[in-house]
Amino acid sequence: MTRRPARRTSRSTRATVGLAAAALSMSVLAACGGGGGKPTLNWYINPDGQDTLNALAKSCSTDDYTIKIQLLPSSATDQRTQLARRLAAKDTSTDLMSLDPVFVPEFANANWLLPFEGELADQVLDDDVLKGAGETVTWEDKVVAAPQWANTQVLWYRKSLAQAAGLDMTQPVTWDQVIDAAADNDGTVGVQANKYEAYVVWINSLIQGAGGNILDPKTVEDGRDAKVTIDSKAGEDAAAVIEKLAKSGATQPDFTTSNEGTSLGRMFPESGAGEFMTNWTFVYKNYEGLIGKPGGPKDEAELGDLGFARYPQTVQGEESKPPIGGIDIGVGAYSKHPELAQQAAVCVTSAQAQTDLAVNEGLMPSRQSVYGSDELKEAYPAELLTLWSESVDSGGPRPKSAFYSQVSSAIQSRWHSPTSVGPSTPARSAAFLEAVLSGKALL
Amino acid sequence: MPRTLTGLKNNIGTVIGCALILIWCLLPVAWIISLSFKSQESVTNGSPGFFPSGGGGAGWSNYADVLQDDQFRRSIINSIGISLIATILSVTLATLAAYAIARLEFKGKKFVLTTALVIAMFPVVSLVGPLFDMWRTIGIYDTWLGLIIPYMSFTLPLAIWTLSAFFREIPWEMEQAAQVDGATSWQAFRKVIVPLAAPGVFTAAILTFFFAWNDFVFGISLTSTENARPIPAALSFFVGADPFNRPASLLAAGAVVATIPIVVLVLFFQRKIVAGLTAGAVKG
Amino acid sequence: MTSVIANEAKAGNGKKDKEPTSDRSRSENRLALKLVALPLALMLLVTAFPMLRALYLSLFTYSLTAPDDRKFIGIDNYVTALTDGLFWRDTLVTVIIMIVTVAFELVIGFAFAMVMHKVIFARGVIRTSILIPYGVITVVSGFAWQFAFSNTNGFVNDWLPFIGTDFNWFAERNSSLIAIMASEIWKTTPFMSLLLLAGLAQVSEDMLEAAKVDGATWWQRLYKVILPNMRAAIMVAVLFRALDAYRIFDNIFVMTAGANGTESISFLTYRQVIEQFQLGIGSALSVLLFLSVLVVAFIIVKLFKVNLADARQEG
Repeated sequence: MTRRPARRTSRSTRATVGLAAAALSMSVLAACGGGGGKPTLNWYINPDGQDTLNALAKSCSTDDYTIKIQLLPSSATDQRTQLARRLAAKDTSTDLMSLDPVFVPEFANANWLLPFEGELADQVLDDDVLKGAGETVTWEDKVVAAPQWANTQVLWYRKSLAQAAGLDMTQPVTWDQVIDAAADNDGTVGVQANKYEAYVVWINSLIQGAGGNILDPKTVEDGRDAKVTIDSKAGEDAAAVIEKLAKSGATQPDFTTSNEGTSLGRMFPESGAGEFMTNWTFVYKNYEGLIGKPGGPKDEAELGDLGFARYPQTVQGEESKPPIGGIDIGVGAYSKHPELAQQAAVCVTSAQAQTDLAVNEGLMPSRQSVYGSDELKEAYPAELLTLWSESVDSGGPRPKSAFYSQVSSAIQSRWHSPTSVGPSTPARSAAFLEAVLSGKALL
Repeated sequence: MPRTLTGLKNNIGTVIGCALILIWCLLPVAWIISLSFKSQESVTNGSPGFFPSGGGGAGWSNYADVLQDDQFRRSIINSIGISLIATILSVTLATLAAYAIARLEFKGKKFVLTTALVIAMFPVVSLVGPLFDMWRTIGIYDTWLGLIIPYMSFTLPLAIWTLSAFFREIPWEMEQAAQVDGATSWQAFRKVIVPLAAPGVFTAAILTFFFAWNDFVFGISLTSTENARPIPAALSFFVGADPFNRPASLLAAGAVVATIPIVVLVLFFQRKIVAGLTAGAVKG
Repeated sequence: MTSVIANEAKAGNGKKDKEPTSDRSRSENRLALKLVALPLALMLLVTAFPMLRALYLSLFTYSLTAPDDRKFIGIDNYVTALTDGLFWRDTLVTVIIMIVTVAFELVIGFAFAMVMHKVIFARGVIRTSILIPYGVITVVSGFAWQFAFSNTNGFVNDWLPFIGTDFNWFAERNSSLIAIMASEIWKTTPFMSLLLLAGLAQVSEDMLEAAKVDGATWWQRLYKVILPNMRAAIMVAVLFRALDAYRIFDNIFVMTAGANGTESISFLTYRQVIEQFQLGIGSALSVLLFLSVLVVAFIIVKLFKVNLADARQEG
């Protein structure tokens, strides 16, 4: 789950959108040209950053085509289902689509995505694109989508809480330290552990942080024949972290049904020390927009108590692998206007488009250069921008499998509820995953 | 329904019973209405309790938001259109079939009735896969027609059974009697049969409409955009300002809007629906 | 089933000739066939044809996202499904939901029917309100109860004693199932009570009076007179509701999406076919689901000796 910055800030945002749209139209109109009639291109978007995406659709529309926004449901699974159903029906009206990176291999493998070729491929995937984001758009050596924005998780926390626990946050911290610090100091740890995609995000990062993988990266593209490697020391280390949190006093009441939104309100609670929370980049804008409101910091000073650090380590001394998310723009293989759609895809993923998404919606760029732009520097603390771009660049992707959704469901089925996770979980999930991939078990 | 004197004797029990029925039926509805007036912010931050509290009220803003939502407005139109068309077609066909079953003797009557019975029990989920596959092949996936056809198929059994039960009670001899009295056969049909058959047709229509309005499985499986997506599917995909959690109060407002047509139908046609559901018994 | 339909046909026969040999009966035959042809075709188009197709597809390994890998594998999909613990776990959950909800609906629905049978005043109000849950969209009912049980925005935790305000109903299986069944029972009890009300209306008042004169207590009258006399109505109501409950899907989709082992057999099938695009194994499950509905129907009919001919008269 790579999505969803909260749009609770929308009141303040909306005002800026108009300006952004105006700026955008000037900056990108030139980029999108062409000839012909005036067809409509349908762009299926997920609900993140709708305001800016709408503005983007307007400004990227040219004399040759009009981009029309179509809204997908809010959960990543539902988005995939809706799009896949249209494409399986060989729908000619699916021109552009916002794709969660984990579903790109599946769609590409089914030949539902029109690859970018030649000059266009160089445009959407040049050296400026961060490594973690770039990896998500290739399949069998073809560029099958264009990275639009990149998401990553960092550790958000209350500085006062870390201080009370005597935790030195300038150094990388481990999950163990974070859980103990919260448990001993009346704080909590916010994670995503409902039975859904973001729980797999957490599990995957824990495993990669211990040097392992759910599926062997060398064989992961072999689909059903991929080698399952979750039953390993790294898998056990990951399970140990989840088990420790589940048994500690630092869990939140909705731990087993928690998502990216449930723990937001526990950072600045009416009583209590606050929390450590691993969560996506939208968190910063979220709290900035909630100053003085329920669920947010009381004032600027309290916002200053919001700290951020690199994603915690699974194993002491081993570099963490922050989760990667974001959105890639794919072009439907059955589109009536494939060339126009690809031009439009280039337009909506341009540096200027990424700047607007970052500034207005908190959706971080997939291009290194955009992190250095003046607009971003004004909107975010410099060290946060650095943290984010480093995290995206060194982050760990989820298994790049054409059967990812089965892989994910299989993991969810054996690792949920998190209170049931123990040392035998990796072995059990490995056996199940193998059976699922070979079609010998039901999901 | 015989009115009994015993009812009076158990007056207190009955009053309590009535109160319980009312609470049972209306409390969750009241809850949804109450929830629809909680503000989205208070819902995000947690506002337990039945009523909006502590400045967490939202006035009509949730309703305004819901009705301004393009997708939701489209889904209302879809639901009304699809349900009405399916109802009209299904009841028309069922009336013909029920007439044949109630009035005519023919080979295959058993087969029709067995088929209807089996289909009434059919697990719809086991059909959506193959149907999806068929619909996308013939190109009616994500269209009104793609939903109208299955709705008709699944409401036909109910409509045929209800209608044939009604038709069996109609004293068809009266038609002949009227003709003997000098009425043309059209007049006899219109003046004698239509008024007698109308309540049955009506009941079947309402039950059919309820089914189509309520359907969820076909609604989510055979659509993928607002082209044809009906209200229940739209509600389940609803996206609010807080993308992580269901926008409870917004959804509640949508739910209330979706329930209004049903309440109106119920208010207007309460007698007929009850008669229809208990059809056959009513004949006494 | 056949005997039922035989009764059915006989019931309709009454005044007609047994053998349609005359011109009149032949033309009647033709007219009737014309009248039923279209509805019958429609019903079969959407059920029989897809079912046959499912039967065919269930013999393949076939994923919509990898159409080229389609392979004939005989009955392997069935073996996989039937030897899988998940299939049986979900079947068990479905059966539990079916039994518990129908039992509650029967008892509460009967009580409601008694009240409605007796009530003289405000009859319109009662009957109007009892129809509202019946008319409310299942998805809406699911939302209403999910939010009611929610520990952040609901009221159930507030109102129930012995339950902490932080209690998370959707954290584990039993409490999740309670929430799901609450929604199911709430919505369908009114339907049950209306069916039972129809049966109640057929119990003769004279017999009740006679029993009373003989000094029978309320309980005795209930057990000896009322229940036996409305047996047929009860059985029909149970049959229809049980089959409906066995197909439960909407509430689970909305309230838990199958988390914590709350998945029903319908939901399992839906996930394979529509979410995972595994048309092969999904079709096998579709066939199994259909067969299991037939089995459940058969068991209920045999167990309670339901005569469906009565259904025609009373349901």
